[in-house]
Amino acid sequence: MSVTLPSLQRARPAPLRAQADWDALAKAGNRRRAIGQGLLMAFLVTVSVPILLPYFWMFTISVSARTGGVDSAVLWRSIGILVPAVLALGFLNLLTDRGMRRLYGAAGIVLIAGTALAWAIGPDLHLQNWAFLRDANFVENLSGRGAGTVEAQFPSVWTAFGNSLLLAGVQTFLVLSVATLAGYYLSRFNFQGRASFLQALLILHAFPAMTLIIPIFLLMHWTGLLDTLTGVILVIATLELPFAVFIMKGFFDAVPWDIEMQAIVDGASRRQAFAQVVFPQVKVGLLAVGVFSFIRGWEEYVFVRTLLFDKQNWTMSLYIFWVSEDIMGVDYGVVAAVGVFYVVPSILLYVFCQKYLVQMSLGGIKG
Amino acid sequence: MARIELEQVAKSWGDVVAVEPTDLVIEDGEFVAILGPSGCGKSTTLFMLAGIYAPTGGEIRFDGHLVNRVEARDRNVGIVFQSYALYPHMTVAKNIRFPLKFKGVPADEAARRVSEAARLVHVEELLDRLPAEMSGGQQQRVALARALVKEPQLLLLDEPLSNLDATLRLTMRAEIRRLQRRLGVTTILVTHDQIEATTMADRVVCMSKGRIEQIGTADDLYQRPNKLFVASFIGAPPINLLDGRAERGTVRVGELTLPASGIEGAVVLGIRPEHLGLSAPGHGLAGRILTVEPLGRETLYEVATPLGSLRVLEAGSERRWREGDASGVTVPDEALLIFDKASERRLETASLALAEAA
Ligand SMILES: Nc1ncnc2c1ncn2[C@@H]1O[C@H](COP(=O)(O)OP(=O)(O)O)[C@@H](O)[C@H]1O
Ligand SMILES: [Mg+2]
Repeated sequence: MSVTLPSLQRARPAPLRAQADWDALAKAGNRRRAIGQGLLMAFLVTVSVPILLPYFWMFTISVSARTGGVDSAVLWRSIGILVPAVLALGFLNLLTDRGMRRLYGAAGIVLIAGTALAWAIGPDLHLQNWAFLRDANFVENLSGRGAGTVEAQFPSVWTAFGNSLLLAGVQTFLVLSVATLAGYYLSRFNFQGRASFLQALLILHAFPAMTLIIPIFLLMHWTGLLDTLTGVILVIATLELPFAVFIMKGFFDAVPWDIEMQAIVDGASRRQAFAQVVFPQVKVGLLAVGVFSFIRGWEEYVFVRTLLFDKQNWTMSLYIFWVSEDIMGVDYGVVAAVGVFYVVPSILLYVFCQKYLVQMSLGGIKG
Repeated sequence: MARIELEQVAKSWGDVVAVEPTDLVIEDGEFVAILGPSGCGKSTTLFMLAGIYAPTGGEIRFDGHLVNRVEARDRNVGIVFQSYALYPHMTVAKNIRFPLKFKGVPADEAARRVSEAARLVHVEELLDRLPAEMSGGQQQRVALARALVKEPQLLLLDEPLSNLDATLRLTMRAEIRRLQRRLGVTTILVTHDQIEATTMADRVVCMSKGRIEQIGTADDLYQRPNKLFVASFIGAPPINLLDGRAERGTVRVGELTLPASGIEGAVVLGIRPEHLGLSAPGHGLAGRILTVEPLGRETLYEVATPLGSLRVLEAGSERRWREGDASGVTVPDEALLIFDKASERRLETASLALAEAA
């Protein structure tokens, strides 16, 4: 505004008062925008508190709790420091929009909050709850507890971690390959029973999988896949597939026929047209289905609980279950630490993929 | 380059007939436009030539060779879709290069041909852009370059200009025409815009409801339409059509009687707006001006007459009549088109010699 005004004035002499009004209006606009942003921030913070608080609590317990007591003092003390710090950062953003000042301000706030935290809760922090990462027999090594534990009752947490990774990864791979091919076929080819097939997909998805647990158990038993990761992977992938196929079909539907036909006229075979032209358009869909599939496998509890017995086959969900069981509900610190260890991969996955997942609604194919 | 023959080529989907059995020959190097309203089967015809759809009947020949069973990828046809169908994830250079991938063209040769094709349509500066980063006109040029890069024996254009603004359409019309002349590639343009068809093509194929109604030059279609449909579809502003009866050497339309020997029965009279004239009240048909549309060098009047409302086109930008004025409408007996009402074919009459291509 301040740049364009003088030249505007030269071109068409305006009374001085008009210029002052323009400046006032610009200021009012800025103020309104700042207030709007502040309100939005406040709203978002308020809404995210109930979501973030449990995670934060779990984290504070895992690094501070000691045997016996569940102690929320650390939580309240750290919240008492962090909330004002976050608010201060918000105000800082409203008060100034100059990069350097913001940076110094932010650094100051972080420094003060850090010092305050170190003073308030520093003495309470310890890593004993995290011993399970190194020592498989950590429960009986914890002095004065774990009376019911026998030597080598637990596998290493890394075995469980590896099993979960394998389960979720292979499951995702299966779901993605089948859903991509099936979704493409359903989207592009007409065959007898296509409509009823699509309906069946939706009905299958609506069916609560839990009701199938006994037949599935028997099926696994008869096929000799009981107590194997392969069995669980097949079961979960099968249950995931109907919906994944449906979603992928939707993504393929959104790819225009034109570019596929164009590729074929350009000399590609149907398969080459799929691989080089159609497939790249559904990558975001693939990522979305992949992430959800992976999370589904990662958090799976019911079927692993039913179909896996041997401790070498435990997944993270079983591990955390047995840890909490074994500690007889006294040592929240260890359970919280295992919990934090369990959610970190999910969170990392979301953080890495969210950029692409957000594109999903905006993107699509232009041209 | 190729000579294209269609013999009784037809396409239907179940009960839906998109193209009735059709005969058409396109000479080597010719530029033919297929013109018709939306849904008349133009694109379907084009896609059958490209090999995207298999005809349900008839034979398609390229240079005498039957190609019905030849796959699209082996026909060496270039196509530009109405949507341009650029590959959204590829840069312009990759888009243009795509058809060469499957032809085993060596890398340096491919690079040379890509830059040549890009130069041909003036997109050399855009080679690193993605389709979404270009305007409609630029996308159109890229699509054209991609169709031309493999040196096709047949170039197919499906409504290539319909997504462009009016000025750009004019430029691209001339440019495509010039390119086609220069390369001498047999070209088929599909369009629902008669100006596009008549300005660009050597010959125009007029289609309606899956049938070819007439094939001819722009003049043929305008001055000697074979069918009522052609007469009404070609010409802007559209022709005036009046129901009448022919008997005893005359055609009677309401109070109007015109000489016309050798025909009998119910007819439809077609009069182009520019063949009607406005005169002082009392001359010709009694009329009242309903609307006045200045078109620049001409003015279009809609005039209420006892025969119904007629469109009258007057040359010149000076407007002598205003809305609500009473005027006479003069009807010449030359340059009238008479169609049989039942068969919708044009009737040749002895006394109504049509103005031959003057
Ligand atoms: N894949 C298809 N399946 C069924 N009907 C189709 C298909 N493609 C086109 N048609 C029908 O064929 C007719 C001609 O279509 P088209 O050739 O696209 O017309 P246009 O002249 O507008 O290009 C239309 O009635 C259309 O509904
Ligand atoms: Mg079409």
